[in-house]
Amino acid sequence: MKISGAYRLSLPQERAYALLQDPAMLAHCMPGAERLDKVGEDEYQMKLRMSIASISGNFDGRVRVADKNPHQSFRLVVEGTGKIGFVRGDGLLRIAAEDSGSNVTYEGDVQVGGTIAAVGQRLLDVTSKMMIKRFFDKFAEAAASA
Amino acid sequence: MGTTTAIRTKTYVGERIRRKEDPRLITGTATYVDDIQMPGMHHASIVRSPHAAARIKGIDAKRALETPGVVAVFTGADVKEVGPVPCGASLPGLRVPQHSILARDRVYFVGHPVAVVVATDRYVARDAVDLVEVDYEPLPAVADPERALEPGAPAVHPEWPDNVAFTYHQEGGDVNKAFAGAEVVVKQRITSQRLIPTAMETRGVVADWRAGDKALTLYSSTQIPHLLRTLVAMMLGLAENRLRVVAPEVGGGFGSKLNVYAEEALMGFVAMRIGKPVKWIESRRENFAATIHGRGHVDYFELAANKDGTILGLKLKLIQDLGAYHQLLTPAIPTLSVLMIPGVYRFQNVFCDIVGVFTNCVPTDAYRGAGRPEATHGIERMVDILADELKIDAAEIRRKNFVRPDEFPFATATGLSYDSGNYAAPLDKALEIVDYNRLLEEQQQARKEGRLVGVGISTYGEICAFGPSPATPAGGWESGSVNIDPTGKVTVATGASPHGQGEETTFAQIAADELGIDIDDVVVVHGDTAIVSYGIGTFGSRATAVGGTAVYFALQELKKKIGTFGAMLLDSGDVSYRAGRCICNKTGKSVSLSEIAAASYRAMKLPPNTEPGLVSTCFWEPPNFTFPFGAHIAVTEIDRETGAVSVKRYVAVDDCGKIINPLLVDGQVHGGVVQGLGQALFEQAVYDETGQLVTGELMDYAVPKATMVPWIESSHTETPSPVNPLGVKGVGEAGTIGASPAIVNSVVDALSHLGVQHLDMPLTPERVWRTLQQHGGQA
Amino acid sequence: MIPQSFDYSAPATLKEALAQVSSGAKPLAGGMSLVPIMKLRLAAPEQLVDLGRIPELNYIRKEGSELRIGAMTTHYQIESSPLVRADCALLGETAGRIGDVQVRNVGTIGGSVAHADPAADYPAALLALGASLKLVSTGGERVLAAAQFFLDTFTTALDPGELIAEVRVPVSSGAGTAYVKLAQPASGFALVGIAARLVRAGNRIGSAAIGVTGVGPKAYRASEVERLLAAGKPTREAALHITGGIDVNSDLHASAEYRRHLASVYAARAIELAWSRTE
Repeated sequence: MKISGAYRLSLPQERAYALLQDPAMLAHCMPGAERLDKVGEDEYQMKLRMSIASISGNFDGRVRVADKNPHQSFRLVVEGTGKIGFVRGDGLLRIAAEDSGSNVTYEGDVQVGGTIAAVGQRLLDVTSKMMIKRFFDKFAEAAASA
Repeated sequence: MGTTTAIRTKTYVGERIRRKEDPRLITGTATYVDDIQMPGMHHASIVRSPHAAARIKGIDAKRALETPGVVAVFTGADVKEVGPVPCGASLPGLRVPQHSILARDRVYFVGHPVAVVVATDRYVARDAVDLVEVDYEPLPAVADPERALEPGAPAVHPEWPDNVAFTYHQEGGDVNKAFAGAEVVVKQRITSQRLIPTAMETRGVVADWRAGDKALTLYSSTQIPHLLRTLVAMMLGLAENRLRVVAPEVGGGFGSKLNVYAEEALMGFVAMRIGKPVKWIESRRENFAATIHGRGHVDYFELAANKDGTILGLKLKLIQDLGAYHQLLTPAIPTLSVLMIPGVYRFQNVFCDIVGVFTNCVPTDAYRGAGRPEATHGIERMVDILADELKIDAAEIRRKNFVRPDEFPFATATGLSYDSGNYAAPLDKALEIVDYNRLLEEQQQARKEGRLVGVGISTYGEICAFGPSPATPAGGWESGSVNIDPTGKVTVATGASPHGQGEETTFAQIAADELGIDIDDVVVVHGDTAIVSYGIGTFGSRATAVGGTAVYFALQELKKKIGTFGAMLLDSGDVSYRAGRCICNKTGKSVSLSEIAAASYRAMKLPPNTEPGLVSTCFWEPPNFTFPFGAHIAVTEIDRETGAVSVKRYVAVDDCGKIINPLLVDGQVHGGVVQGLGQALFEQAVYDETGQLVTGELMDYAVPKATMVPWIESSHTETPSPVNPLGVKGVGEAGTIGASPAIVNSVVDALSHLGVQHLDMPLTPERVWRTLQQHGGQA
Repeated sequence: MIPQSFDYSAPATLKEALAQVSSGAKPLAGGMSLVPIMKLRLAAPEQLVDLGRIPELNYIRKEGSELRIGAMTTHYQIESSPLVRADCALLGETAGRIGDVQVRNVGTIGGSVAHADPAADYPAALLALGASLKLVSTGGERVLAAAQFFLDTFTTALDPGELIAEVRVPVSSGAGTAYVKLAQPASGFALVGIAARLVRAGNRIGSAAIGVTGVGPKAYRASEVERLLAAGKPTREAALHITGGIDVNSDLHASAEYRRHLASVYAARAIELAWSRTE
């Protein structure tokens, strides 16, 4: 499934670029993330408890930052596997200065498998959008107080 | 000795007799596999791949095995001795992947069985499935058959990088000449999407191993108990006489249970290993992911004709999505499409190529119609496209090209001999029922008002009653036994293993009429290899035409013997048998069937060269297939704003030869039409590009519900088949075959004045709406 | 389709149920969504408290200018209630379009509203009606407008330990209402569902309330359409604004583009039907 969108942050471009790759920020803002442990350069192991409505599941996964083009763009690859299925998200984030803040645009691809793919089609689009929005909302809030 | 009683003149054949099966079915007292309970019975649950393609790097069952109640976990390494899941179809050069009952080092589709957990309790078994850790290394997958044929596509089986399982060519006549001389050629790509058979009862198996007897009993929800016995015995290395297969009540199959599945052998293996009975009941999710799918065609058609509408020849390139493996008949199904591609038309030039393609999907195989709906949909769409091109009426162009009644038996370009037919008869009747000319006027009027109304005709022909053994894998005959008890009650045993078709009623009608007795004195038994010596099964609309005929011949044999005993008892050389009594033609004295039966078993005195008892068995080999046909007409209206299709009228006139029970024929037609309607409007198994089955449940896979079904106006013509003495042809698949082209032709007709030539199924509102957008028809 | 094991209790009073919910039990209010999710093992609550045996949660009565409906009243009870038909036809019409007969016989209004499925039928009607919800917990009760209740996809203003006890719907006097929907053929969920409530002012629309479901991340009021209608814009023109500002859903059954179009068509149909029912 293709995803794309934009989010405005009241952070300067450089700081947005840095914070969006900060493992502590990612751990704090990714919905359901319980911990993020560094396993290599720009690569982290992740434990995640996803919960949407009554649906919940634990995921073990990895987060990887790649194709870094300082202050402008990077690729974020998130993979998670759990009993209810697996998720792989691969997205390019572009950060552009805009007025006093920055504008983050993202586009990428989300693949899901297992039970969530088999029975969750009706809700994939709407819930992925919600998760992304939650991430950025929390990110904006945390960045403001950081 | 008996006095003359009132002679029963009523016959059952041809009457609307209510099904003898129904009371137990509608009162919940029937026994399905899941109703079977056994002392010490264990339960199995299966670990299945969530990946379409992956390497298995390791399986850790430790935590599952530590769970209280779990007695065993078996993986691919444990079942190496079990033979492969069999493919019964043989085609030249067919590539047959090794199909182990549990995955070895790779998985090939979502739902591929990887391990089985056995526990004392069904719930524990299911819980423990989640505790089996399988380490997968995901690999690229391909789910679309055309994509699979492209260079560089992921290889489903690494040993065959082109993903081609087979190619098959068939031709008749001189198609190049036909096309060279044609005044018009129409072309169209037509798909017949993957469908999920969705039998109400999912699959299920109970395996019971008696070590003392070295005997395994397998209860399975199957259409083919005897073939299952032969093949599972081979897989498990058992002598066939040590295996009994029972098909208890079977809650629908539609071809999906005309198969030998990994799980059937696997449960036998488990029962033998643990020394206890074991039950496995498939969940609906497993049923969607791991029971065969149907259809899966991409077809490229070309039709050559003269301007007067005379069809000269047809070319077809057929791409069959096979899935990852061959199940029992997988590669054979598209060859049936080719055989029936001429439909009910006379043209003699045909050129067909099939490419069977591996994909990372569950295998396709026989699903109600099995190859013939695809063929019928193709030819009936092409005839409409031609009619539209030439501005000839859809009924007229069909009549022009029909095989004529005096041309039967008719040799087709594909090598078949159509047994009998009068193709114009059901068409004329259907046109009369809908009042065709008025309907066309109404359509014109509707168009003036801006409404989109369509009239769609399909005149289908099908090949049924499989079939002569040389043309049917595993044999095409059927067995029928008739056993009259000493008290005169009659038991009919059939090798056709009905699973909802109602043969307990129709075969009883045949037997009651032949013996002149009450229908309630006849019991029809089936579905147990211990009570039916051998048989083939119910599929391909064959049970009545082949199995019923076997019963008929067994009855003839028995009637001779009854006459012999009757003559002895009446001490007369001139007797006849009527209405359950043997009558001396001179004195009028008679003896009843029960008196004759008693005498035959008591055997105080026997006629010369006659054995005691009244038992007869016939294994009947049909000399040909039968070829039912019919005409369906659908009237549809499209919501111009949303693209939603509503079926305003549906008329089905079917000719299935002589009708044994019109009530049951109507039932078959109704059910079949609904399934055809499902394909036309709603159903589609969707795999995404990574091979995930995204219509994994009934939440996203739309089978038609009662409220979504139009009133079906069902009628018949009767053209007896010369192939069997009953004159019957078969009707189980007719509705499905006739329906989808009638509906699609109707919807395309509603849009044809906007320049629409074709729409692929399912005709979802969005698809129709997009077509309207493209053709400027949106209000 | 076997769920993980769970404890189950079916108290007879709301008080007992609240005590259990406050200690973490998952309420079962019909289970038309929860049970399938559990059977698919997408959820594994350890304790279920079934609200279905609590008589004080099952009623439909009129109090003043409101209809008050107990949370455990089934869709069928609402669909077939003469009181609902007389005083709030929109809610009855909506209830009658939910799922299928089996679902309507078991599913409840409280369960559906609390689940907040983005394609559920009730939210559209409740928003158009200006309904409110009585929420209760061991700590007390509060009343919240439906508009404040639905926060996001599957996300509501219910606090942990809180239950919906009652749905309160203003009695519609003189309004014309309609609920129209295009159901997804497999699940019966709304690809698009529009609830319209119009009050006539002479020969024109005096005021309009339009609730929309199935289209965006949550049910919403189409305030721009309402404004345009009240300002006398023709229905078809106003209806084109039905998805204004909404990030429209896309799924296997309908793309965002098609849904957007469907929403405007169904909005117009709902408005026209509601208009024809005004007095």
